[in-house]
Amino acid sequence: MMRLAWIALAAGTLMAGQDNTFLLRNATVYPVSGPKIENATILVVDGKIVEVGVKVTPPKGKIKIVEGKGLQVYPGMIDSGSPIGLSEISSVRETNDVGELGDFNPQLRSIIAVNPESEHIPVVRANGITSVMVLPGGGNGLVYGQISLMHLSGWTWEEMEIRRGAALQMRWPTYSMGGRGGGGGGGRGGAAGGGMAEAKRVHDQQVKLIQEFFEQSRAYQLAKVAGTPGLKPELKFEAMIPVLEGKLPVMITVAREREIKEAVEWATKEKLKVVLAGVRRPGKMTEELAKRNIPVILGSTFEVPLEDDDPYDEPFSLPGELQKAGVKIAFASFGVQFARNLPYQAAQAVPFGLPYDEALKSVTLNAAEIWGVADQYGSIEKGKWADLIVTDGDPLEVKTSVRMMFVKGEPVDLESKHTRLYKKYLARP
Amino acid sequence: MRILLIGAWSAAFCLTAGFAQDVTVIQNATIHTVTKGTMKGSIVIRDGKIAEVGEKVMTPSGARVIDAAGKHVIPGIIDCHTHIAVDAINEGSVSVSSMVGVGDVVNSEGKDIYRALAGGVTTANVLHGSANAIGGKNVLLKMRWGKDADALVFQEALPSIKFALGENPKRAGQATGFQAPGAQQNLRYPGTRMGVEDVIREAFLRAQEYQKEWKAYEAKKSKGEAALPPRRDLQMEPLVEVLEGKRLVHAHCYRADEILMLLRVAEEFHFKIATLQHVLEGYKLAKEIAAAGVGASTFSDWWSYKVEAYDAIPYNAAIMHKKGVLVSLNSDDAGGAELMRRLNTEAGKMMKYGGLTEDEALAMITINPAKQLKIDQYVGSIEAGKQADLVIYDKDPLSIYSKVEKVFIDGNQYFDREKDLEERPKQDARKKGLLEKEKETEKRNAPLSRRPS
Amino acid sequence: MLLKSLSLFVLAGAAFLPLQAEPPSLIAIQDARIITVSGAVLEKGTVVLRDGIIADVGAAITIPKGAWVVDGKGLTVYPGLIDGFSTWGIPDGAPVAATPGGRAAAPVSAPAGTPAPARSQGPADRPGTNSWVTAADLVKTSDRRLDAARGAGFTSAATFPRPGLVGGHGALVNLAGENAGRMVVEPGIGLLLSMGGGGYTGYPTSSMGMISYYRQLWIDAGHYKLNKEMYAQSPATIERPGYDRALEGVLAAKKVFLPAAGPMQLERALKLAAELKATPVIYGAVEGYRMAATLKKTSTPVILNVKWPVKDREADPERVDSIRTLELRDKAPESPAALVAAGVKFAVSSDGIDNPKDVIKALKRSIDLGLKKEDALRALTLSAAEIHGVGARLGSIDKGKIANLVVTNGDLFDDKTKVQMVFIDGVKYLPPPETPPTPRGGAAPTAPGNETQEEVEH
Repeated sequence: MMRLAWIALAAGTLMAGQDNTFLLRNATVYPVSGPKIENATILVVDGKIVEVGVKVTPPKGKIKIVEGKGLQVYPGMIDSGSPIGLSEISSVRETNDVGELGDFNPQLRSIIAVNPESEHIPVVRANGITSVMVLPGGGNGLVYGQISLMHLSGWTWEEMEIRRGAALQMRWPTYSMGGRGGGGGGGRGGAAGGGMAEAKRVHDQQVKLIQEFFEQSRAYQLAKVAGTPGLKPELKFEAMIPVLEGKLPVMITVAREREIKEAVEWATKEKLKVVLAGVRRPGKMTEELAKRNIPVILGSTFEVPLEDDDPYDEPFSLPGELQKAGVKIAFASFGVQFARNLPYQAAQAVPFGLPYDEALKSVTLNAAEIWGVADQYGSIEKGKWADLIVTDGDPLEVKTSVRMMFVKGEPVDLESKHTRLYKKYLARP
Repeated sequence: MRILLIGAWSAAFCLTAGFAQDVTVIQNATIHTVTKGTMKGSIVIRDGKIAEVGEKVMTPSGARVIDAAGKHVIPGIIDCHTHIAVDAINEGSVSVSSMVGVGDVVNSEGKDIYRALAGGVTTANVLHGSANAIGGKNVLLKMRWGKDADALVFQEALPSIKFALGENPKRAGQATGFQAPGAQQNLRYPGTRMGVEDVIREAFLRAQEYQKEWKAYEAKKSKGEAALPPRRDLQMEPLVEVLEGKRLVHAHCYRADEILMLLRVAEEFHFKIATLQHVLEGYKLAKEIAAAGVGASTFSDWWSYKVEAYDAIPYNAAIMHKKGVLVSLNSDDAGGAELMRRLNTEAGKMMKYGGLTEDEALAMITINPAKQLKIDQYVGSIEAGKQADLVIYDKDPLSIYSKVEKVFIDGNQYFDREKDLEERPKQDARKKGLLEKEKETEKRNAPLSRRPS
Repeated sequence: MLLKSLSLFVLAGAAFLPLQAEPPSLIAIQDARIITVSGAVLEKGTVVLRDGIIADVGAAITIPKGAWVVDGKGLTVYPGLIDGFSTWGIPDGAPVAATPGGRAAAPVSAPAGTPAPARSQGPADRPGTNSWVTAADLVKTSDRRLDAARGAGFTSAATFPRPGLVGGHGALVNLAGENAGRMVVEPGIGLLLSMGGGGYTGYPTSSMGMISYYRQLWIDAGHYKLNKEMYAQSPATIERPGYDRALEGVLAAKKVFLPAAGPMQLERALKLAAELKATPVIYGAVEGYRMAATLKKTSTPVILNVKWPVKDREADPERVDSIRTLELRDKAPESPAALVAAGVKFAVSSDGIDNPKDVIKALKRSIDLGLKKEDALRALTLSAAEIHGVGARLGSIDKGKIANLVVTNGDLFDDKTKVQMVFIDGVKYLPPPETPPTPRGGAAPTAPGNETQEEVEH
């Protein structure tokens, strides 16, 4: 099937011109930013979308034609958080570059450690995911580092880069009771057997550490602005300046109402641009998040319910509840093994209350908006980069195959270790 | 005792107590029989069994009628590999733990049963863990939520046992990382895949000896000679049953090499493997697996979580299926029914990864696991005479947008989404009441004598 | 701190010795309220104790000549209370915390000074099997906890050796005596099986392993018995069985004591007992209110743990417990009444309770919730005696029974009531001074069905 698509593409190449200039025609286009367009044509020039519509005037001269008859076109999907490229085999330490030592590492940039040859990259993009927020952190630290937004295509990490520093990743301290973990958030143990008093002590101490670090960072920022003589440059504090200026979003992993409240109050006081991640039990904070326009990155909807008394569909219905309350949501795989199932995470919420259009947005335009790249990505609109997927159906549906992919207008190979082994062993005599 | 408990529970929990012996008709549904195609029609349920399936059926007056217009019905989902509903999974202290059985510690009150049910699973193969080359005995359960442990057991099924190959059973035999040399003495044989084979061969050699001992005793006895019977050995008995074909073997495995090893060891000792479980590299060995007539129960798209899963591909099920292996998809759920709530979409993925048809995909969670577990004459498809284990979906069951609405086991309705939704505020109120009552009680009751400080 | 409590112990011990150097052998408690348990209450009656036996009881009894008389005005006499499942009398016999089965279960380390036992590789190693141990061999009059127990009105206990999978044989003992041997009323009341126990490493580590292990142990005992019988008949042709103290101990078991927190564990325990062809007595039963029907149906007696589960004070206040847990805490104190209503014979246990008086306080809570006082009292006396096979000798104030009595200044379940004296084998003991030293308690009962699920590897 995939091969067929490629033949169509090859046949459509009428002119040996630029690879990233083409006319994709006769397809049903789902721009996400607007209603679907049947029998539409997309004109891509130098990797950018120049025109979308039923009647598109082709430029003069020969141009590559991509036949889209019977196919559907969507913007490439965005995974709002995965250690892809940094983690190969989760159980083998040597293949993991996630979670640096130390509590505060805002200076770390995830993309520089991405292995472009990771077998995960082609596997994930084969399901229609064109870009990923690459997570540097996990585990015991507090401020993990900078999340890079990158394309799942390129010879080097530099070529894959969309934004080296797209957000700062940190976690809010949990009240960890040793074994009573609270889903979504990384917890620093320390309180095993100590009960609530000890859990609170550990939590408070970590909150204090965070506050102190931000105070120090601010002092550095002020000193720098004031041109204080003798100020020694510090990588950690330099990295904090765009965060303190409210320019760089901070993605805070926090699962439950009490901690969400603490994190939001703190972030408001610090005037940060905040995005919450791994939210599981927002409770009354849901309205507050909507009011304050704080977006939420949801993890796997497939997880088991948090508590024994929770309904069986608790994780399925959370996205719909947040969306209904007016919270902007996006999804993240928060892993590599199942990163290709990002579209299904969103789809699973649809029968349980999330409108389909919102589900589609949550893995495309919402993510682009949250990460500040909506002017260039996230929908099929004039002026945006042509990150496109061409499918034989709804890309959120498990039966659907992605037939073609374009990243900045360049066709992307959809073969992977999996398809190679498939073909090899299917052909075994 | 059992009779009394079942009686008490079904009155309280079974949604259709009183209907069971009567007739229920599911009308106007799209019926995916799996074995006999898909049709629009009705299913008549009587005495817990499917009495009739067809476009036009006879409906007795007074029957309970469920109008399923626009809905889809499939056979109850059979999950060939889970670890739910038990209080213990591994007896990891020994390399051959065939004397233990998870059936002894069925936890009939675990919420995971209900959650699996809500995902349309009606039968679950609950396996011992993978800590040992030869693990413990498994138990096949029906998700009859609310019944006691004995009443969950799939009575007609053959008993089975777990084997495990590769990384897990050898882990206890490997000093990893920077362990001090002193740690070596606590290691448990085996520490390599070679040792795993050795443990299995040695155990079956012993089982053969044990079998001979008993035969010799029986011979003496039949001649009227006074003889002391051999000591019954609970570790050996299940292995003898395997040798005699009375107990199914479900073997956890990943790599092609270890799978081939097990197929050959089984040949050497003249027993059969019922299923290879996980079998993520089964696609590399499909020819041999098919030739051995061994089933394969795998995942849809799991990979890369450990070294032996690095060559796993989502096309595994499709390749094996195309090459003649009987394939099922399972959840491997433990401690909560995660995947069990949506095995239908795992099957749906097979239409993409390898281009299976709807029926082929559905078969992998219904009739195929039924065949692997040798219960296909009772369940696994919608056919007259089979046990009425049925799931009603609101939409195409292979679509991620579908929801389970009703689940029947033996004709009794055990799950109803509407009722589930209705119950939620009641449960909340009940909880609130209990919390308030506890507060009151605490106020009233002085604490017991203080401990000396 | 430790020194202080030790010195308290010494004082208390001194105060609680029989006061007379040569205790009188003939005693009469006159004009007291007498709760016989077996019969009607005597509002004003007399009990006569002679040579450690209840010689007479009634409303109109002539005090025999030479009797030492206790003026019973304002006093109430009860049969001595019996702890149905205990370690009292076995010094350092406080139960070790039970470890749940499963991979997570850490082997309990051997007491300091003893070499670590070899790792058990399978059933043949008989791990943690102390079936030759009997409580009767272990009891000592010097157990420091006896003072507090008697102070709460207890005169006897069914006491069990605890460590190991098979703890050993329990004994019904009086909580005082001239010497250890004199304490024992009945030496072999049954074999204690645990579903945890510890004291060994290796197989079995899981609850299913333990069940399988018991099965094999009983099979082995049966085989051993058969071997012995056949050998006795034809020593020339049948191999002589090697003496095996563990199997001897199993064969000697009159009953097995099995734990069951709730209905699910009860189902398992009853199935196991049936397989072993052993008569079961259930201990624990925190969810007794859900177990009554099955216990009745199977005529299984139960020793109820009355350490009612309470809210975890250490828990995160924002995490609300499940309905199931809340219900357990709400309903557990109603268990005794539920057992009575179903007609189940039950006794109560001090297991996990530090202060013996709290056993009575716990029952008081059940009384407030509808349990009849006489039923509570029966559980503490005659039912316990009957369950342990000493109903003809203990548990009620009847002529010919052992003279174990507790004398109070009011209703036993009244908070203000004080134990004035107890009689054990007709010997008077005074309660220890207030703020008694508390014996070491054991592990709190765990909620049923809460055994943590292990993570499995795929």
